[in-house]
Amino acid sequence: MAHAAQVGLQDATSPIMEELITFHDHALMIIFLICFLVLYALFLTLTTKLTNTNISDAQEMETVWTILPAIILVLIALPSLRILYMTDEVNDPSLTIKSIGHQWYWTYEYTDYGGLIFNSYMLPPLFLEPGDLRLLDVDNRVVLPIEAPIRMMITSQDVLHSWTVPTLGLKTDAIPGRLNQTTFTATRPGVYYGQCSEICGANHSFMPIVLELIPLKIFEMGPVFTL
Amino acid sequence: MAAPPEPGEPEERKLLGFLDVENTPCARHSILYGSLGSVVAGFGHFLFTSRIRRSCDVGVGGFILVTLGCWFHCRYNYAKQRIQERIAREEIKKKILYEGTHLDPERKHNGSSSN
Repeated sequence: MAHAAQVGLQDATSPIMEELITFHDHALMIIFLICFLVLYALFLTLTTKLTNTNISDAQEMETVWTILPAIILVLIALPSLRILYMTDEVNDPSLTIKSIGHQWYWTYEYTDYGGLIFNSYMLPPLFLEPGDLRLLDVDNRVVLPIEAPIRMMITSQDVLHSWTVPTLGLKTDAIPGRLNQTTFTATRPGVYYGQCSEICGANHSFMPIVLELIPLKIFEMGPVFTL
Repeated sequence: MAAPPEPGEPEERKLLGFLDVENTPCARHSILYGSLGSVVAGFGHFLFTSRIRRSCDVGVGGFILVTLGCWFHCRYNYAKQRIQERIAREEIKKKILYEGTHLDPERKHNGSSSN
């Protein structure tokens, strides 16, 4: 989860998120250098004593400031497209979970090996135990195995919602009448938090998502398979 | 990268207050070499030409080019290292899982080399 006043991305829990963080660092460095150059140019413009009212053209400069941005855009676009296609790879998921958005809670369905369906409501502040996170913890978490490809089918029963888990690099809109799919493979166990990311009414900020990722052996022993 | 500092650990320091160069791989290395390159290029140009403004331009240009060059070089090596780490991790897992069975990678390798 994010800590107070955090600006950067959360640590990655999936290979895709690792790639996204790498790409973010790459793009940020390029942006930083461009900003540095622009600020320097601005400084020079503001402090120059030179005035020349007879400049009619500057072909070389125009060529440079056309070609250079094109090269920079290619340098940014290529890794971006690589990650985009990586996210769409078909990887034979082991498990399919359905996630349905409501106002203002999520319903999860584990229908592969049984008929487990449950709602996940945010814990109201009065019901928090010591150590629980305000506005983030829920009554029923989504328990999933690590190191197994998982498919999430996301939809909504009423208005637009968005199912987000930043540490996995996931954000998928829940649209009524449409089934969106996202897949991920978690690489380390833990409890990971996300929040609804599409404005959906008064309690839009109070319908969090909590994933509890556990080793596969323990997941297989769990109640999911006893139903 | 995203964990808050534990009590007792030194506080995070960010360049210009928001650039997290400590936790971004290759960033600190690139910025430091870029700064060094900028100073060397700018000061060197000034020593030879005594032109202050042009030397500042060279310094800025040097900073950008050296930072970018170091950045791409370091990130390329970092990416290669990550791939090698991933391959090593997968091979170790396979070794642990299949040791002693017909799927043991070492047995396959020894079998093919003896043939």
